[in-house]
Amino acid sequence: MKIIKEALAGTLESSDLLVKVTPLPEDRVDVVIQSEVMHQFGEQIRQVVLATLQQLGLISGQVVIEDKGALDCAIRARVQAAILRGAAVDQLDWSKLS
Amino acid sequence: MNDEFVFYTINPHKNWDEGAEIQRLLTLCDLDMDEGIETFVVGRQGRRLVACAGLDGDIVKCVATAPDLRGESLSLKLMGEVINLAVEQGHLHLFLFTHPSNVSFFGGCGFYELAEVPGYVTLMENTPVGIKRYSDQLRKLTQPGDKIGCIVMNANPFTFGHQYLVRLAASQCDWLHVFVVREDVSQFSYRDRYALVSAGVAGVPNLTLHHGSEYMVSRATFPDYFFKEKGMVGECCSAIDLILFRKYIAPALGITHRFVGTEPFCKTTRKYNDDMKQWLQVADSSAPAVTVVEVPRTVSSNIAISASEVRRLLRSGDMAKMPALVPRDTLNFLYSNYAT
Repeated sequence: MKIIKEALAGTLESSDLLVKVTPLPEDRVDVVIQSEVMHQFGEQIRQVVLATLQQLGLISGQVVIEDKGALDCAIRARVQAAILRGAAVDQLDWSKLS
Repeated sequence: MNDEFVFYTINPHKNWDEGAEIQRLLTLCDLDMDEGIETFVVGRQGRRLVACAGLDGDIVKCVATAPDLRGESLSLKLMGEVINLAVEQGHLHLFLFTHPSNVSFFGGCGFYELAEVPGYVTLMENTPVGIKRYSDQLRKLTQPGDKIGCIVMNANPFTFGHQYLVRLAASQCDWLHVFVVREDVSQFSYRDRYALVSAGVAGVPNLTLHHGSEYMVSRATFPDYFFKEKGMVGECCSAIDLILFRKYIAPALGITHRFVGTEPFCKTTRKYNDDMKQWLQVADSSAPAVTVVEVPRTVSSNIAISASEVRRLLRSGDMAKMPALVPRDTLNFLYSNYAT
């Protein structure tokens, strides 16, 4: 899966996160995470994000995350939504998202 | 009491009553209304207008919230609404001007500092990788040499003056990087300007012609440049553009000298040239200084050649003097598009 257009999911409100995805010219995934709880949960957030990207099979795209202390399930859902929008997927394999 | 915030979008020019309410909120927050903004996101609590943020293309302006409601989630909701609106309009990459004291607030909304004029204004963008990725791309185009020159030109349109400046700069440098201002708000379209520059500099061996970007002389870095016809010359805005150039663009390409023509006619460009010496050479900076070389204009039939002169002649329909002012490709272009 590749990001082919810019897309957005989520909000900047407390306990949520904003995920922005943009295409990259080459096959590379670049993830940048900013979080209000970076020191405490930064590593865990990164793991959740990377696992979600791997599950979706993303091979190309820039992913920028502004986290406001979201729970893991919210992070997964927002990342999935942004990627699927950015990759212009309209046929969903829901089992892949679980 | 209903303390829910309701957000929606208005055009202050079409909706006078709400425009006046926005004006009052901005005044309360020591901000001026920017007349150019066609879209405002406003937030209401009950009937009271408590938040507003303007969107001018990809630039966020005039952000204000009622002072008594700060510290709640109002500002973050407002910024979220603006970002969503911008995406709907096709702008994921946004810029924002603010006072340096507000940088940490907008940092919480996903904006990152690009350049600051201390005590006056900071330009931010809503991505942590924007300028970095741009600098990385430029770095791949680095050329060896001790004296690396740069010219940024709008070339509206390309004249013998531009050609003279390019050839002179190239002859004095190991390599010359030429950027064409990308913003499409000039009389001649970016595509046409770039094509005419490209034709006009052909044959100069030690030159790279670059597409401009939103990081140089754009509506984001230098908003007032494009409103010069209105006689507005921003004090700080050219500074932001030049600080960005010195901090990111010059180091990426190893630029040591920036060349400009002296400006006899256009006040904004003349001010920009003066500011250039201040911000590229004189001002304190962590980035190395870039030497500004001001080249006197070439003179043809006793008039200094300038693009603004060409535009003036076009307006008055005076094509007779053109061959003395512009190279063949520009001349052909003007004849095929303007001669009657």
